Amino acid sequence: MHPSAPPVSAPVEAAPAIEVRDLRRSYGDFEAVRGISFEVQPGEVFALLGVNGAGKTSALEVLEGLAPAGGGTVRVLGADPVRERARVRPHLGVLLQASGLPGDLTVAETLQTWAGTLTDPRPVPEALAQVQLAHRADVRVRSLSGGERRRLDLALALLGRPRVVVLDEPTTGLDPESRRQVWGLVRDLVADGAAVVLTTHHLEEAEELADRVAVLRDGQIVLSGTQEEIAETQPATLRFTLDEDAPELPRVAGVQVVAQRPRVEWHTRALQPVLAELLAWAAEHHVVLRALEARSASLEQAFLAVAAEARTPSA
Amino acid sequence: MTTTHAPAPPTATAPSRLRRVAALAGGELRLFLRNRTAVVNSGLLPLLLVAAVPALGIDGELPLGPRLLVAAVGVTLVFVTYYNLVITYVARREELVLQRMRTGELTGLEVLVGTAVPTLLVTLGQVALVAVGVVVLGEWSAPVEFLLPVIALLGGALLMTVLAAASTSFTRSAESAQVTTLPLVVVTSALSGLITPLSVFPEPVALAARLMPVTPVVELLQLGLAGVTWDGDRVDAAGAWAAAPLPLAVLAGWLLIGTVAATRGFRWAPRR
Repeated sequence: MHPSAPPVSAPVEAAPAIEVRDLRRSYGDFEAVRGISFEVQPGEVFALLGVNGAGKTSALEVLEGLAPAGGGTVRVLGADPVRERARVRPHLGVLLQASGLPGDLTVAETLQTWAGTLTDPRPVPEALAQVQLAHRADVRVRSLSGGERRRLDLALALLGRPRVVVLDEPTTGLDPESRRQVWGLVRDLVADGAAVVLTTHHLEEAEELADRVAVLRDGQIVLSGTQEEIAETQPATLRFTLDEDAPELPRVAGVQVVAQRPRVEWHTRALQPVLAELLAWAAEHHVVLRALEARSASLEQAFLAVAAEARTPSA
Repeated sequence: MTTTHAPAPPTATAPSRLRRVAALAGGELRLFLRNRTAVVNSGLLPLLLVAAVPALGIDGELPLGPRLLVAAVGVTLVFVTYYNLVITYVARREELVLQRMRTGELTGLEVLVGTAVPTLLVTLGQVALVAVGVVVLGEWSAPVEFLLPVIALLGGALLMTVLAAASTSFTRSAESAQVTTLPLVVVTSALSGLITPLSVFPEPVALAARLMPVTPVVELLQLGLAGVTWDGDRVDAAGAWAAAPLPLAVLAGWLLIGTVAATRGFRWAPRR
């Protein structure tokens, strides 16, 4: 849960597909990635979250073998993705945040060309069907919509049957239906044993797909764990409406009162006992707690809290 | 938890370097053939050369046949190979295509070579067309030493490719390539002996010109095709080889400089 903590690891005794230890990367004097560590197991989705400029893409580029680490180590399937590139690449699928494809090749020709460079490519028709582009096989890339191009890009990333997949904002520019199709694809990959690292600005995407999450801020991991663990770092919320003639609410330990009656909002890190105490009080005083809501913190709340901390100048 | 494992050997055999380059080159050739303007221009340039060189009386020290071939190789290397490749590499970089290609199994060198294949084939095709034109005009004469022009053509094509890759480091966009390629296109071409024989320059200028990147290609072509040295002397095959070490060394030196500059300066993605 802290940058200096040991690597975030899944509770599984298995060889990690990805190991990142104390990774650093700088551009001149600016240190974009400042000592991050994490591991990803086969059959797991790991989401790297963070506001723009947090260091996500800079970290991924090292993982992808596109840039050397300034410090620390990165291993993909046990090998260095830069120095042992030839060992890693046949097993690595990469979807960059932004990338281009020659516009005058058709969709099928683009995949055929790419397949010719790979060790064990899927058949092109299978790859087209995988991203629902079979009906666009003979269309030139320049005529595709933004979402279709993104799906073609994804098809290229998955064409070599990768065991490790790096997806940098995979659903940016996709409509809701296409986004859900991509989520289905990611789930299929994981079911087949692939390790997936993804970045996204859509927190519901991380909630939907990720087994574990790390939140980056200023190049450091400031929060990490399962979604539940991350949510627990933020207070849960209790909301209810009280009639004007209801008796005075009890003073409950560990509660921060955010809003007063009639629509009351409490924040607490001990949701269950606080809720039990509130319900007991209501029963004792025959009070109806109308529109009662009791909700654990969401990943979004945790993320927003981290972002808000970043905006608050330290004392 | 801490045990790591090496990647399992793929069940399929990895494609050879040549097969990967051929796959990429196939896509690039398809792209080239879909660009009608480029295809038409590629055919027109040799025809224009065959028509223009005799009319302009360029380099009167050589017979017409060798004169045409020297002009064909020199002009296509500079204006087709070098200029086109700078634009192609920069455009692909700015469109984020190069970075995309690097995410696969292709190595950086394979991406550069595969991308250059159509341009290199056009270069060879244009020289071949001019050679055919020379035969048709009845101006063909056997080379004094066959190997020297082959070295000049292949070495020159390789040199233009690495210089194009190196030039992308100071070329921000395909449009700005019109300016950044000027030093090589104008200055070194003008001082290469392609337009004006080096023998007309004062000796210090001629010596400096012989150290330019295009000059050794022209010198080797003149030596091999017509047995004419840079200062206009006529030599036989042995004499051609005796005069070849300096241009060969200059060509090798520029290849080394270009390779180092390209390796250090080439960027795969736009500046951010």
